[in-house]
Amino acid sequence: MTQASIWLGALHAIWLREVQRSLRDRGQLIGGVSRPLLWVLILGIGFNPYFRAEVFGQVRFAVPFTYLQFIFPAVIVLNIMYTAVQSAVSLIWDREFGFLREVMVAPVPRWIVLLGKVLGGATVALGHGCLVLILAQFAGVQLRYANLATGLAYMFLLAFALTCVGIFLANRIRSFEGFGIFSNTVILPLYFTSSSVFPLDPSLTGAQTRVVYPEWLVILVQYNPLTYVVDHFRGVFIGFNQFNPWAGPIVIVIVAAVFFAISLIEFRQG
Amino acid sequence: MSVLLRGGEGFPGTVAVASVSKRFGHILALDDLSLDIHEGEAFALLGPNGAGKSTLISIIATIQQPDSGSVAVGGHDVMRSPMKARKMLGIVFQEPSLDTRLTVQENLDFHGRIHGVPRRQRLRRIEQLLELVELSEVRHKIVRGLSGGMKRRAEIARALVHDAKILILDEPTVGLDAQSREKIWSYLDRVRGERGLTLIVTTHYIDEVDGCDRVCIVDGGKVLALDSPDALRSKYAQDTIRARPEDIATEQAIFAAFPQARLRRNGEIAISVASPEAGPVMDRLRGFGRGVRYLSLERPSLESAFLNLTGRELRGEQAAALGRGRE
Repeated sequence: MTQASIWLGALHAIWLREVQRSLRDRGQLIGGVSRPLLWVLILGIGFNPYFRAEVFGQVRFAVPFTYLQFIFPAVIVLNIMYTAVQSAVSLIWDREFGFLREVMVAPVPRWIVLLGKVLGGATVALGHGCLVLILAQFAGVQLRYANLATGLAYMFLLAFALTCVGIFLANRIRSFEGFGIFSNTVILPLYFTSSSVFPLDPSLTGAQTRVVYPEWLVILVQYNPLTYVVDHFRGVFIGFNQFNPWAGPIVIVIVAAVFFAISLIEFRQG
Repeated sequence: MSVLLRGGEGFPGTVAVASVSKRFGHILALDDLSLDIHEGEAFALLGPNGAGKSTLISIIATIQQPDSGSVAVGGHDVMRSPMKARKMLGIVFQEPSLDTRLTVQENLDFHGRIHGVPRRQRLRRIEQLLELVELSEVRHKIVRGLSGGMKRRAEIARALVHDAKILILDEPTVGLDAQSREKIWSYLDRVRGERGLTLIVTTHYIDEVDGCDRVCIVDGGKVLALDSPDALRSKYAQDTIRARPEDIATEQAIFAAFPQARLRRNGEIAISVASPEAGPVMDRLRGFGRGVRYLSLERPSLESAFLNLTGRELRGEQAAALGRGRE
């Protein structure tokens, strides 16, 4: 066997283990299924009637989609984010229960180990993103081959980037409890301030936006990188962009590169 | 340099440790330690907690790096070419390191894959090894549900899925019942015979060390003694003669004749002597005739050799751990 094929085999083994483990992790599966149901079916359908062009009889918003359609791409991002960060828990788990040593003494370079882990986590997260896609017809989102293919590609990229972020966090929080708290204090705030559940009105100027919404919230939303990611997925799935459609992919690629690099450096140091 | 030449490519089962030091903060875990492990031998590392055993094992296993000195595994320097060194090694860690959510088979398969063992060979070897350690029946069970002894056996089997030349076992039998310990040693003996493996073992159980070819007693990061178990016994341990005096007069007479004698709680008198002097001492005690109810001679144990060398009981784990707080 050549060196490259041995490394590829190792990469496959590490990837396979991540996938096998999460298929057996009932808690993760339940979360992956219940989250889209709650957000799309309960919250989405519940708010759908209130999301329309009139407020107190005054026309303010003119938006060409329903609330369900609006929130749908954001729920995809949410589900990927939860699962990606959660799958990084397995790193803490490996460290806690000694399995990491088994990998560390294998004749495989560290970057292969890390890449295998990230690809495994990303695959699982992509799967959970696809669980949301099943609800597309309830949300009135039309899936065609073109936007489905683009969407899946970006979903995988996003899953990869967020798994890197998860591993970065896991390196800092070395216990389960700490990680649970962290994921809730990071994931939900990022999600809520990413223009995911309420829109920044596309028809208003920057100055007008600040009149409708408090300034601090507008600033939070604009500085949140996830805003551009959610916006990008809206562009892909419902054809609506508030920002430059390229901002999303750029954010994803930068996050993936930076956090993979940091994780690799830390991983090499043990 | 000479170390690397000695453990060249032609000696895949050797380990050469040359002047290795390792410091953790202000604690010197390994102090200029050197030793050579030969191909095909069973080599035991013996020492109290905090002696530096685990640190040495970690360095040989390429998990930690020495501050100075060099280690060659199968002729490969662990600092310069850790990948090649790792290929030579099969390691059973002190702490369990199986993925408890996977099955036994999946754990072994994972190991084979990341070590680049081709599929057919991998499956055949897993089959053979599971048979050897008597786990064929539970191969598709999730590891979490297995007993401690089964997990240990699975780990030993796992370490051998690839073509390891040196098997390192850090406390492989700790926490297991006598039957499981015995089983593990019988598997190890069989594999050693079949594959010509070099075995490096650390253990707290002195009776297990007795079966090894050479024993290295370490403490304070240094090698205190390195020899076969028999040689260690005769060099460092003393015989113990036990006598039961019939009356106070005899007791006092024995104490007068042997100042080193100690009175035990049960009324016995214990006298420690170097092996060659045991015969004459016994004869003199027999001279007391009926004054001595019984006499017995205890051959030295490795444990007493260990005690003499380190000044510490091997099993005084708690006390030793409290004092040192390492390992």
